[in-house]
Amino acid sequence: MDSLFTAAVAGLSAGGAYAILGVCAIFTYRLVAVVNFTGAAIGAAGTFAMVALFELGMPLLLAVLFGVAAGALAGLAIGLVMTTWFAGSNASTKAAVTAALLVGIIAVGLRLTGGQHPHYFPEIIPGSAFRLAGVEVTWAAVTTLVLSVAFTLLTEQFLARTRTGLQLRALSQRPMAAELIGIRVRLLALGVWAVTGGVTAFALMIIAPLRSPDFASLSLLVVPALAAALIGAFSSFRAALIGGVMIGLLEGSVSAIGPVSQYRGAVPFLVILAVLLWSQRGARWDEAR
Amino acid sequence: MTTFSIGALQVDRSGIPVIRGVDLEAKGGEISVLLGSNGAGKTTFLESLSGIIPVRSGFINLDGVELAKLRPGARAKTGLSHVEQGRTVFPAMTTEENLKVALHPDADLKEAYDLFPELLQRRNVEAGMLSGGEQQMVVIARSIVNRPRVILIDEMSSGLAPVIVSRLMRAVRQLADDGIAVVLVEQFAALALAIGNRAYVLRRGQIVYDGDCAALARDPAHLHRLYLGDAAA
Ligand SMILES: Nc1ncnc2c1ncn2[C@@H]1O[C@H](COP(=O)(O)OP(=O)(O)OP(=O)(O)O)[C@@H](O)[C@H]1O
Ligand SMILES: [Mg+2]
Repeated sequence: MDSLFTAAVAGLSAGGAYAILGVCAIFTYRLVAVVNFTGAAIGAAGTFAMVALFELGMPLLLAVLFGVAAGALAGLAIGLVMTTWFAGSNASTKAAVTAALLVGIIAVGLRLTGGQHPHYFPEIIPGSAFRLAGVEVTWAAVTTLVLSVAFTLLTEQFLARTRTGLQLRALSQRPMAAELIGIRVRLLALGVWAVTGGVTAFALMIIAPLRSPDFASLSLLVVPALAAALIGAFSSFRAALIGGVMIGLLEGSVSAIGPVSQYRGAVPFLVILAVLLWSQRGARWDEAR
Repeated sequence: MTTFSIGALQVDRSGIPVIRGVDLEAKGGEISVLLGSNGAGKTTFLESLSGIIPVRSGFINLDGVELAKLRPGARAKTGLSHVEQGRTVFPAMTTEENLKVALHPDADLKEAYDLFPELLQRRNVEAGMLSGGEQQMVVIARSIVNRPRVILIDEMSSGLAPVIVSRLMRAVRQLADDGIAVVLVEQFAALALAIGNRAYVLRRGQIVYDGDCAALARDPAHLHRLYLGDAAA
Protein backbone atom coordinates (compact mmCIF):
# COMPACT_ATOMS: atom_id res chain seq x y z
CA MET A 1 0.00 0.00 0.00
CA ASP A 2 2.84 2.31 0.92
CA SER A 3 4.59 1.72 -2.35
CA LEU A 4 1.34 2.35 -4.22
CA PHE A 5 1.05 5.73 -2.53
CA THR A 6 4.68 6.50 -3.35
CA ALA A 7 4.08 5.59 -6.96
CA ALA A 8 0.90 7.62 -7.20
CA VAL A 9 2.71 10.67 -5.85
CA ALA A 10 5.44 10.03 -8.39
CA GLY A 11 2.76 10.41 -11.05
CA LEU A 12 1.86 13.89 -9.83
CA SER A 13 4.26 15.90 -11.95
CA ALA A 14 3.23 14.01 -15.07
CA GLY A 15 -0.37 14.66 -14.07
CA GLY A 16 0.24 18.40 -13.79
CA ALA A 17 1.83 18.41 -17.21
CA TYR A 18 -1.07 16.42 -18.70
CA ALA A 19 -3.44 18.94 -17.18
CA ILE A 20 -1.60 21.84 -18.85
CA LEU A 21 -1.57 19.98 -22.17
CA GLY A 22 -5.26 19.16 -21.79
CA VAL A 23 -6.16 22.79 -21.08
CA CYS A 24 -4.14 23.81 -24.16
CA ALA A 25 -6.02 21.24 -26.24
CA ILE A 26 -9.36 22.67 -25.13
CA PHE A 27 -8.10 26.21 -25.67
CA THR A 28 -7.19 25.33 -29.28
CA TYR A 29 -10.44 23.47 -29.84
CA ARG A 30 -12.70 26.13 -28.40
CA LEU A 31 -11.00 29.14 -29.93
CA VAL A 32 -9.77 27.99 -33.33
CA ALA A 33 -11.99 24.91 -33.67
CA VAL A 34 -9.21 22.38 -34.18
CA VAL A 35 -8.73 19.07 -32.36
CA ASN A 36 -4.98 19.39 -32.41
CA PHE A 37 -2.96 16.18 -32.57
CA THR A 38 0.30 18.13 -32.99
CA GLY A 39 0.05 19.82 -29.58
CA ALA A 40 2.68 17.74 -27.80
CA ALA A 41 4.88 17.55 -30.92
CA ILE A 42 4.99 21.35 -31.02
CA GLY A 43 6.03 21.28 -27.38
CA ALA A 44 8.60 18.58 -28.10
CA ALA A 45 10.17 20.81 -30.75
CA GLY A 46 10.57 23.54 -28.14
CA THR A 47 11.91 21.08 -25.58
CA PHE A 48 14.55 19.73 -27.96
CA ALA A 49 15.53 23.26 -28.96
CA MET A 50 16.14 23.90 -25.26
CA VAL A 51 18.20 20.70 -24.90
CA ALA A 52 20.28 21.47 -27.98
CA LEU A 53 21.08 24.98 -26.77
CA PHE A 54 21.90 23.66 -23.30
CA GLU A 55 24.21 21.02 -24.79
CA LEU A 56 25.94 23.83 -26.69
CA GLY A 57 26.71 25.50 -23.38
CA MET A 58 23.94 28.02 -23.02
CA PRO A 59 22.89 28.74 -19.41
CA LEU A 60 19.81 26.74 -18.45
CA LEU A 61 17.45 29.66 -17.86
CA LEU A 62 18.28 31.23 -21.20
CA ALA A 63 17.95 27.89 -22.97
CA VAL A 64 14.50 27.43 -21.41
CA LEU A 65 13.41 30.86 -22.64
CA PHE A 66 14.63 30.12 -26.16
CA GLY A 67 12.94 26.70 -25.98
CA VAL A 68 9.61 28.28 -25.06
CA ALA A 69 10.05 30.74 -27.93
CA ALA A 70 10.84 27.84 -30.27
CA GLY A 71 7.65 26.09 -29.12
CA ALA A 72 5.69 29.27 -29.83
CA LEU A 73 7.25 29.50 -33.30
CA ALA A 74 6.45 25.84 -34.03
CA GLY A 75 2.87 26.47 -32.94
CA LEU A 76 2.73 29.53 -35.16
CA ALA A 77 3.96 27.48 -38.13
CA ILE A 78 1.20 24.89 -37.66
CA GLY A 79 -1.27 27.76 -37.17
CA LEU A 80 -0.19 29.31 -40.47
CA VAL A 81 -0.79 26.00 -42.25
CA MET A 82 -4.22 25.60 -40.65
CA THR A 83 -5.43 29.19 -41.17
CA THR A 84 -4.07 29.47 -44.70
CA TRP A 85 -5.36 26.26 -46.21
CA PHE A 86 -7.91 24.77 -43.85
CA ALA A 87 -9.75 27.75 -42.38
CA GLY A 88 -12.97 26.74 -44.13
CA SER A 89 -12.68 22.98 -43.59
CA ASN A 90 -14.90 21.07 -41.20
CA ALA A 91 -13.74 19.80 -37.80
CA SER A 92 -12.95 16.23 -38.85
CA THR A 93 -10.87 17.36 -41.85
CA LYS A 94 -8.87 19.68 -39.61
CA ALA A 95 -8.31 16.91 -37.05
CA ALA A 96 -7.14 14.55 -39.81
CA VAL A 97 -4.76 17.21 -41.11
CA THR A 98 -3.15 17.66 -37.70
CA ALA A 99 -2.87 13.86 -37.31
CA ALA A 100 -1.05 13.72 -40.64
CA LEU A 101 1.15 16.64 -39.62
CA LEU A 102 1.97 14.79 -36.39
CA VAL A 103 3.37 11.85 -38.33
CA GLY A 104 5.46 14.21 -40.46
CA ILE A 105 6.73 16.18 -37.48
CA ILE A 106 7.73 13.01 -35.62
CA ALA A 107 9.65 11.73 -38.66
CA VAL A 108 11.49 15.01 -39.10
CA GLY A 109 11.97 15.44 -35.36
CA LEU A 110 13.46 11.98 -34.87
CA ARG A 111 15.84 12.60 -37.74
CA LEU A 112 16.99 16.00 -36.45
CA THR A 113 17.39 14.81 -32.85
CA GLY A 114 19.26 11.63 -33.73
CA GLY A 115 16.48 9.11 -33.25
CA GLN A 116 16.71 7.17 -30.00
CA HIS A 117 20.18 8.62 -29.34
CA PRO A 118 19.96 9.75 -25.72
CA HIS A 119 20.17 13.41 -24.89
CA TYR A 120 20.84 14.76 -21.47
CA PHE A 121 17.67 16.39 -20.22
CA PRO A 122 18.50 18.85 -17.47
CA GLU A 123 16.05 18.91 -14.57
CA ILE A 124 14.70 22.42 -14.82
CA ILE A 125 13.27 22.28 -11.34
CA PRO A 126 15.39 19.84 -9.27
CA GLY A 127 15.07 18.59 -5.73
CA SER A 128 12.53 17.53 -3.17
CA ALA A 129 10.03 20.03 -1.81
CA PHE A 130 8.68 18.22 1.26
CA ARG A 131 7.70 14.82 2.59
CA LEU A 132 4.08 13.81 2.62
CA ALA A 133 3.32 10.83 4.89
CA GLY A 134 6.91 9.74 4.42
CA VAL A 135 6.88 10.17 0.65
CA GLU A 136 9.12 12.62 -1.20
CA VAL A 137 7.21 15.22 -3.17
CA THR A 138 9.49 16.85 -5.74
CA TRP A 139 9.62 20.49 -6.70
CA ALA A 140 8.86 19.42 -10.25
CA ALA A 141 5.55 17.94 -9.05
CA VAL A 142 4.68 20.98 -6.96
CA THR A 143 5.56 23.34 -9.80
CA THR A 144 3.59 21.52 -12.49
CA LEU A 145 0.58 21.30 -10.19
CA VAL A 146 0.71 24.97 -9.23
CA LEU A 147 1.34 25.92 -12.85
CA SER A 148 -1.54 23.82 -14.13
CA VAL A 149 -3.97 25.34 -11.62
CA ALA A 150 -2.67 28.86 -12.28
CA PHE A 151 -2.79 28.36 -16.04
CA THR A 152 -6.37 27.06 -15.86
CA LEU A 153 -7.61 29.95 -13.73
CA LEU A 154 -5.67 32.48 -15.75
CA THR A 155 -7.12 31.18 -18.99
CA GLU A 156 -10.65 31.43 -17.59
CA GLN A 157 -10.11 34.96 -16.30
CA PHE A 158 -8.44 36.05 -19.51
CA LEU A 159 -11.39 34.88 -21.59
CA ALA A 160 -13.93 36.39 -19.19
CA ARG A 161 -12.35 39.76 -18.48
CA THR A 162 -10.02 41.04 -21.18
CA ARG A 163 -10.92 42.62 -24.48
CA THR A 164 -8.83 40.10 -26.38
CA GLY A 165 -10.55 37.33 -24.44
CA LEU A 166 -13.93 38.73 -25.44
CA GLN A 167 -12.85 38.88 -29.08
CA LEU A 168 -11.62 35.28 -28.90
CA ARG A 169 -14.96 34.12 -27.53
CA ALA A 170 -16.80 36.01 -30.27
CA LEU A 171 -14.50 34.46 -32.85
CA SER A 172 -15.16 30.97 -31.50
CA GLN A 173 -18.94 31.43 -31.47
CA ARG A 174 -19.44 33.05 -34.88
CA PRO A 175 -16.29 33.54 -36.92
CA MET A 176 -18.01 35.42 -39.74
CA ALA A 177 -19.94 37.79 -37.50
CA ALA A 178 -16.68 38.42 -35.62
CA GLU A 179 -14.90 39.27 -38.85
CA LEU A 180 -17.77 41.55 -39.92
CA ILE A 181 -17.33 43.73 -36.82
CA GLY A 182 -13.66 44.14 -37.65
CA ILE A 183 -12.11 41.62 -35.25
CA ARG A 184 -8.72 40.52 -36.58
CA VAL A 185 -9.61 36.86 -36.71
CA ARG A 186 -6.45 35.53 -38.33
CA LEU A 187 -4.13 37.41 -36.01
CA LEU A 188 -6.03 36.15 -32.97
CA ALA A 189 -6.01 32.57 -34.23
CA LEU A 190 -2.26 32.70 -34.82
CA GLY A 191 -1.86 34.14 -31.33
CA VAL A 192 -3.69 31.15 -29.88
CA TRP A 193 -1.40 28.76 -31.76
CA ALA A 194 1.75 30.56 -30.60
CA VAL A 195 0.74 30.82 -26.94
CA THR A 196 -0.33 27.18 -26.65
CA GLY A 197 2.92 26.18 -28.39
CA GLY A 198 5.05 28.06 -25.87
CA VAL A 199 3.11 26.83 -22.84
CA THR A 200 3.18 23.22 -24.04
CA ALA A 201 6.93 23.42 -24.62
CA PHE A 202 7.45 24.54 -21.03
CA ALA A 203 5.21 21.79 -19.62
CA LEU A 204 7.11 19.15 -21.59
CA MET A 205 10.49 20.48 -20.45
CA ILE A 206 9.51 19.83 -16.85
CA ILE A 207 8.47 16.23 -17.38
CA ALA A 208 10.93 15.27 -20.13
CA PRO A 209 13.57 13.98 -17.64
CA LEU A 210 10.96 11.54 -16.30
CA ARG A 211 10.26 10.03 -19.73
CA SER A 212 12.11 8.04 -22.32
CA PRO A 213 13.38 11.25 -23.78
CA ASP A 214 13.08 10.82 -27.52
CA PHE A 215 11.11 13.03 -29.87
CA ALA A 216 8.44 10.44 -30.65
CA SER A 217 7.62 9.61 -27.02
CA LEU A 218 7.25 13.27 -26.12
CA SER A 219 5.08 13.91 -29.19
CA LEU A 220 2.79 11.04 -28.24
CA LEU A 221 2.01 12.72 -24.93
CA VAL A 222 -0.81 14.15 -27.02
CA VAL A 223 -2.71 10.99 -26.02
CA PRO A 224 -2.99 11.81 -22.29
CA ALA A 225 -3.51 15.45 -23.29
CA LEU A 226 -6.53 14.60 -25.43
CA ALA A 227 -7.75 12.18 -22.74
CA ALA A 228 -7.72 15.06 -20.24
CA ALA A 229 -9.46 17.35 -22.75
CA LEU A 230 -12.05 14.64 -23.33
CA ILE A 231 -12.74 14.45 -19.59
CA GLY A 232 -13.45 18.18 -19.86
CA ALA A 233 -15.74 17.41 -22.83
CA PHE A 234 -13.48 19.77 -24.80
CA SER A 235 -15.13 22.68 -23.04
CA SER A 236 -14.43 22.73 -19.28
CA PHE A 237 -10.91 23.81 -18.39
CA ARG A 238 -11.36 22.78 -14.76
CA ALA A 239 -12.56 19.28 -15.56
CA ALA A 240 -9.56 18.86 -17.88
CA LEU A 241 -7.29 20.06 -15.09
CA ILE A 242 -8.64 17.47 -12.67
CA GLY A 243 -8.70 14.82 -15.42
CA GLY A 244 -5.06 15.41 -16.31
CA VAL A 245 -3.89 15.14 -12.72
CA MET A 246 -5.94 11.97 -12.22
CA ILE A 247 -4.46 10.33 -15.30
CA GLY A 248 -1.00 11.10 -13.91
CA LEU A 249 -1.87 9.59 -10.52
CA LEU A 250 -3.43 6.54 -12.17
CA GLU A 251 -0.37 5.99 -14.35
CA GLY A 252 1.85 6.28 -11.29
CA SER A 253 -0.23 3.77 -9.33
CA VAL A 254 -0.36 1.28 -12.18
CA SER A 255 3.41 1.35 -12.48
CA ALA A 256 3.65 0.11 -8.88
CA ILE A 257 1.42 -2.91 -9.38
CA GLY A 258 3.85 -5.62 -10.50
CA PRO A 259 1.86 -7.64 -13.03
CA VAL A 260 0.34 -4.64 -14.89
CA SER A 261 3.19 -2.15 -14.54
CA GLN A 262 4.29 -2.83 -18.11
CA TYR A 263 1.00 -1.43 -19.36
CA ARG A 264 1.07 1.95 -17.66
CA GLY A 265 1.38 3.59 -21.07
CA ALA A 266 -2.06 2.22 -21.89
CA VAL A 267 -3.74 4.18 -19.08
CA PRO A 268 -4.61 7.23 -21.21
CA PHE A 269 -6.08 4.97 -23.90
CA LEU A 270 -8.25 3.23 -21.33
CA VAL A 271 -9.36 6.60 -19.99
CA ILE A 272 -10.30 7.74 -23.51
CA LEU A 273 -12.20 4.52 -24.09
CA ALA A 274 -14.02 4.82 -20.77
CA VAL A 275 -14.99 8.46 -21.38
CA LEU A 276 -16.22 7.71 -24.89
CA LEU A 277 -18.29 4.75 -23.72
CA TRP A 278 -19.68 6.80 -20.86
CA SER A 279 -20.61 9.67 -23.17
CA GLN A 280 -22.27 7.27 -25.62
CA ARG A 281 -24.39 5.50 -23.02
CA GLY A 282 -27.38 7.76 -23.72
CA ALA A 283 -27.22 7.09 -27.44
CA ARG A 284 -27.01 3.34 -26.85
CA TRP A 285 -29.91 3.43 -24.51
CA ASP A 286 -31.96 5.39 -27.08
CA GLU A 287 -31.03 2.92 -29.79
CA ALA A 288 -31.98 -0.05 -27.64
CA ARG A 289 -35.48 1.27 -27.08
CA MET B 1 -22.31 63.33 -46.57
CA THR B 2 -21.72 59.61 -47.10
CA THR B 3 -22.09 58.17 -50.58
CA PHE B 4 -22.04 54.41 -51.05
CA SER B 5 -22.15 53.51 -54.71
CA ILE B 6 -22.14 50.17 -56.42
CA GLY B 7 -21.71 49.81 -60.15
CA ALA B 8 -21.97 46.99 -62.71
CA LEU B 9 -21.72 44.45 -59.92
CA GLN B 10 -21.61 40.79 -60.90
CA VAL B 11 -21.53 37.96 -58.36
CA ASP B 12 -21.49 34.21 -58.97
CA ARG B 13 -22.58 31.44 -56.66
CA SER B 14 -21.18 27.98 -57.36
CA GLY B 15 -20.24 29.28 -60.82
CA ILE B 16 -23.75 30.47 -61.62
CA PRO B 17 -24.30 34.22 -62.11
CA VAL B 18 -26.67 35.39 -59.35
CA ILE B 19 -26.09 39.16 -59.38
CA ARG B 20 -25.99 40.32 -62.99
CA GLY B 21 -24.87 43.90 -63.34
CA VAL B 22 -26.40 45.82 -60.44
CA ASP B 23 -26.04 49.58 -59.94
CA LEU B 24 -27.15 51.08 -56.64
CA GLU B 25 -26.46 54.25 -54.72
CA ALA B 26 -27.15 54.78 -51.03
CA LYS B 27 -26.76 58.19 -49.42
CA GLY B 28 -26.13 59.16 -45.82
CA GLY B 29 -29.37 60.18 -44.13
CA GLU B 30 -31.46 57.97 -46.43
CA ILE B 31 -32.91 54.49 -46.30
CA SER B 32 -32.50 52.63 -49.56
CA VAL B 33 -35.05 49.82 -49.59
CA LEU B 34 -34.16 46.72 -51.60
CA LEU B 35 -37.10 44.47 -52.41
CA GLY B 36 -37.47 41.29 -54.42
CA SER B 37 -39.04 37.84 -54.28
CA ASN B 38 -37.41 34.80 -52.68
CA GLY B 39 -34.24 33.82 -54.48
CA ALA B 40 -33.93 37.15 -56.32
CA GLY B 41 -30.41 37.53 -54.94
CA LYS B 42 -30.85 40.08 -52.14
CA THR B 43 -28.77 38.22 -49.55
CA THR B 44 -26.12 37.35 -52.13
CA PHE B 45 -25.92 41.03 -53.02
CA LEU B 46 -25.43 42.18 -49.42
CA GLU B 47 -22.92 39.40 -48.73
CA SER B 48 -20.83 40.46 -51.70
CA LEU B 49 -20.87 44.06 -50.47
CA SER B 50 -19.58 43.13 -47.00
CA GLY B 51 -17.06 40.66 -48.41
CA ILE B 52 -18.53 37.36 -47.20
CA ILE B 53 -18.53 36.19 -50.82
CA PRO B 54 -16.26 37.52 -53.59
CA VAL B 55 -17.47 39.66 -56.48
CA ARG B 56 -16.69 38.74 -60.08
CA SER B 57 -16.59 42.28 -61.42
CA GLY B 58 -17.83 45.78 -60.77
CA PHE B 59 -17.11 48.34 -58.08
CA ILE B 60 -18.14 48.95 -54.48
CA ASN B 61 -17.21 52.46 -53.50
CA LEU B 62 -17.58 54.07 -50.07
CA ASP B 63 -16.75 57.80 -50.09
CA GLY B 64 -14.02 57.27 -52.66
CA VAL B 65 -12.56 54.09 -51.12
CA GLU B 66 -12.80 51.00 -53.31
CA LEU B 67 -13.91 48.01 -51.21
CA ALA B 68 -14.37 45.20 -53.70
CA LYS B 69 -10.91 43.71 -53.18
CA LEU B 70 -10.74 44.14 -49.39
CA ARG B 71 -11.26 41.48 -46.71
CA PRO B 72 -14.51 41.74 -44.68
CA GLY B 73 -12.63 43.08 -41.64
CA ALA B 74 -11.03 45.86 -43.68
CA ARG B 75 -14.41 46.82 -45.17
CA ALA B 76 -15.81 47.02 -41.63
CA LYS B 77 -12.95 49.29 -40.58
CA THR B 78 -13.72 51.54 -43.57
CA GLY B 79 -17.21 52.05 -42.17
CA LEU B 80 -19.39 49.32 -43.65
CA SER B 81 -21.54 47.23 -41.36
CA HIS B 82 -23.64 44.19 -42.24
CA VAL B 83 -26.53 43.01 -40.07
CA GLU B 84 -26.83 39.49 -41.42
CA GLN B 85 -29.98 37.50 -41.96
CA GLY B 86 -30.79 35.26 -38.98
CA ARG B 87 -29.88 37.37 -35.90
CA THR B 88 -26.23 36.48 -35.59
CA VAL B 89 -25.67 37.25 -31.91
CA PHE B 90 -22.73 35.72 -30.08
CA PRO B 91 -25.02 33.36 -28.17
CA ALA B 92 -22.85 32.48 -25.17
CA MET B 93 -21.95 36.10 -24.46
CA THR B 94 -24.18 38.53 -22.57
CA THR B 95 -25.99 41.40 -24.28
CA GLU B 96 -23.41 43.82 -22.95
CA GLU B 97 -20.49 41.63 -24.04
CA ASN B 98 -22.01 41.44 -27.51
CA LEU B 99 -21.93 45.23 -27.64
CA LYS B 100 -18.55 45.65 -25.98
CA VAL B 101 -16.77 43.38 -28.38
CA ALA B 102 -17.80 45.63 -31.27
CA LEU B 103 -17.27 48.94 -29.47
CA HIS B 104 -15.40 51.50 -31.57
CA PRO B 105 -12.87 53.54 -29.55
CA ASP B 106 -14.91 56.73 -30.11
CA ALA B 107 -18.27 55.11 -29.41
CA ASP B 108 -20.12 54.57 -26.15
CA LEU B 109 -22.41 51.75 -25.00
CA LYS B 110 -24.89 54.47 -24.13
CA GLU B 111 -25.59 54.99 -27.84
CA ALA B 112 -26.79 51.39 -28.05
CA TYR B 113 -28.99 51.68 -24.96
CA ASP B 114 -30.37 55.01 -26.15
CA LEU B 115 -31.48 53.36 -29.36
CA PHE B 116 -32.94 50.32 -27.56
CA PRO B 117 -33.59 51.16 -23.88
CA GLU B 118 -35.28 47.76 -23.47
CA LEU B 119 -31.85 46.12 -23.74
CA LEU B 120 -30.68 47.81 -20.57
CA GLN B 121 -32.49 45.41 -18.24
CA ARG B 122 -31.28 42.46 -20.34
CA ARG B 123 -27.64 43.55 -20.33
CA ASN B 124 -26.38 40.61 -18.26
CA VAL B 125 -28.45 37.94 -20.00
CA GLU B 126 -26.73 35.62 -22.48
CA ALA B 127 -27.76 36.66 -25.97
CA GLY B 128 -28.73 33.09 -26.84
CA MET B 129 -31.44 33.29 -24.18
CA LEU B 130 -33.04 36.50 -25.49
CA SER B 131 -36.26 36.66 -27.50
CA GLY B 132 -36.06 37.00 -31.27
CA GLY B 133 -36.89 40.69 -31.16
CA GLU B 134 -34.31 41.35 -28.47
CA GLN B 135 -31.68 39.43 -30.43
CA GLN B 136 -32.44 41.57 -33.48
CA MET B 137 -32.00 44.68 -31.34
CA VAL B 138 -28.67 43.35 -30.08
CA VAL B 139 -27.26 42.81 -33.57
CA ILE B 140 -28.43 46.23 -34.76
CA ALA B 141 -27.04 47.90 -31.63
CA ARG B 142 -23.80 45.93 -32.01
CA SER B 143 -23.51 47.25 -35.52
CA ILE B 144 -24.11 50.85 -34.39
CA VAL B 145 -21.38 50.90 -31.73
CA ASN B 146 -19.01 49.79 -34.50
CA ARG B 147 -19.51 53.35 -35.85
CA PRO B 148 -20.48 52.58 -39.46
CA ARG B 149 -21.22 55.07 -42.22
CA VAL B 150 -23.18 52.45 -44.13
CA ILE B 151 -25.33 49.73 -42.62
CA LEU B 152 -26.74 46.81 -44.59
CA ILE B 153 -29.73 45.12 -42.93
CA ASP B 154 -31.02 41.76 -44.18
CA GLU B 155 -34.56 40.60 -43.28
CA MET B 156 -34.56 41.96 -39.75
CA SER B 157 -38.29 41.38 -39.32
CA SER B 158 -38.57 37.73 -40.32
CA GLY B 159 -40.48 35.75 -37.72
CA LEU B 160 -41.17 38.72 -35.44
CA ALA B 161 -44.49 40.08 -34.14
CA PRO B 162 -45.86 43.19 -35.92
CA VAL B 163 -45.38 45.48 -32.89
CA ILE B 164 -41.72 44.49 -32.70
CA VAL B 165 -41.31 45.01 -36.43
CA SER B 166 -42.63 48.57 -36.31
CA ARG B 167 -40.44 49.21 -33.25
CA LEU B 168 -37.40 48.09 -35.27
CA MET B 169 -38.48 50.11 -38.30
CA ARG B 170 -38.63 53.27 -36.18
CA ALA B 171 -35.13 52.59 -34.86
CA VAL B 172 -33.80 52.14 -38.39
CA ARG B 173 -35.39 55.43 -39.45
CA GLN B 174 -33.63 57.08 -36.52
CA LEU B 175 -30.28 55.68 -37.68
CA ALA B 176 -30.78 57.20 -41.09
CA ASP B 177 -31.82 60.50 -39.53
CA ASP B 178 -28.53 60.42 -37.62
CA GLY B 179 -26.74 60.45 -40.99
CA ILE B 180 -26.05 56.78 -41.67
CA ALA B 181 -26.69 55.37 -45.15
CA VAL B 182 -29.05 52.41 -44.66
CA VAL B 183 -29.63 49.63 -47.18
CA LEU B 184 -32.70 47.75 -45.99
CA VAL B 185 -33.66 44.35 -47.42
CA GLU B 186 -37.17 43.50 -46.30
CA GLN B 187 -40.03 41.03 -46.78
CA PHE B 188 -42.65 43.44 -45.46
CA ALA B 189 -42.57 45.75 -48.47
CA ALA B 190 -45.28 48.14 -47.25
CA LEU B 191 -43.60 48.79 -43.90
CA ALA B 192 -40.19 49.27 -45.48
CA LEU B 193 -41.50 51.61 -48.19
CA ALA B 194 -43.27 53.65 -45.51
CA ILE B 195 -39.99 54.57 -43.81
CA GLY B 196 -37.70 54.45 -46.86
CA ASN B 197 -36.51 57.13 -49.28
CA ARG B 198 -35.38 55.34 -52.38
CA ALA B 199 -36.53 51.90 -53.52
CA TYR B 200 -34.91 49.25 -55.66
CA VAL B 201 -36.51 46.03 -56.82
CA LEU B 202 -34.27 43.11 -57.67
CA ARG B 203 -35.47 40.32 -59.92
CA ARG B 204 -33.25 37.39 -60.95
CA GLY B 205 -30.15 39.37 -60.15
CA GLN B 206 -31.07 42.57 -61.98
CA ILE B 207 -32.55 45.88 -60.87
CA VAL B 208 -36.01 46.28 -62.39
CA TYR B 209 -37.09 49.37 -60.44
CA ASP B 210 -35.10 52.30 -59.17
CA GLY B 211 -37.15 55.20 -57.86
CA ASP B 212 -39.13 56.83 -55.14
CA CYS B 213 -40.39 54.74 -52.19
CA ALA B 214 -43.59 56.78 -51.93
CA ALA B 215 -44.53 56.25 -55.59
CA LEU B 216 -44.11 52.49 -55.26
CA ALA B 217 -46.02 52.44 -51.95
CA ARG B 218 -49.01 54.10 -53.64
CA ASP B 219 -49.12 51.48 -56.40
CA PRO B 220 -49.10 47.94 -54.93
CA ALA B 221 -50.19 46.45 -58.26
CA HIS B 222 -47.08 47.85 -59.91
CA LEU B 223 -44.92 46.38 -57.12
CA HIS B 224 -46.60 43.02 -57.61
CA ARG B 225 -45.78 43.07 -61.33
CA LEU B 226 -42.17 44.04 -60.56
CA TYR B 227 -41.81 41.06 -58.20
CA LEU B 228 -43.23 38.54 -60.60
CA GLY B 229 -41.98 39.94 -63.88
CA ASP B 230 -43.42 38.87 -67.22
CA ALA B 231 -45.48 36.13 -65.60
CA ALA B 232 -47.85 38.77 -64.21
CA ALA B 233 -47.90 41.01 -67.26
N1 LIG C 1 -24.42 28.75 -51.39
C1 LIG C 1 -25.05 28.82 -52.57
N2 LIG C 1 -24.61 28.11 -53.63
C2 LIG C 1 -25.24 28.19 -54.80
N3 LIG C 1 -26.31 28.93 -55.03
C3 LIG C 1 -26.79 29.66 -54.03
C4 LIG C 1 -26.21 29.63 -52.75
N4 LIG C 1 -26.91 30.45 -51.95
C5 LIG C 1 -27.91 30.96 -52.70
N5 LIG C 1 -27.85 30.49 -53.96
C6 LIG C 1 -28.75 30.84 -55.04
O1 LIG C 1 -28.63 32.22 -55.30
C7 LIG C 1 -29.90 32.78 -55.60
C8 LIG C 1 -30.14 33.97 -54.73
O2 LIG C 1 -30.22 33.59 -53.37
P1 LIG C 1 -30.33 34.65 -52.21
O3 LIG C 1 -30.28 33.92 -50.92
O4 LIG C 1 -29.33 35.71 -52.45
O5 LIG C 1 -31.79 35.22 -52.44
P2 LIG C 1 -32.66 36.19 -51.55
O6 LIG C 1 -33.17 37.24 -52.45
O7 LIG C 1 -31.92 36.63 -50.35
O8 LIG C 1 -33.86 35.25 -51.13
P3 LIG C 1 -34.72 35.20 -49.77
O9 LIG C 1 -35.78 36.25 -49.91
O10 LIG C 1 -35.30 33.82 -49.80
O11 LIG C 1 -33.80 35.42 -48.62
C9 LIG C 1 -30.91 31.66 -55.40
O12 LIG C 1 -31.27 31.18 -56.68
C10 LIG C 1 -30.19 30.60 -54.66
O13 LIG C 1 -30.62 29.34 -55.07
MG1 LIG D 1 -32.15 36.43 -48.28
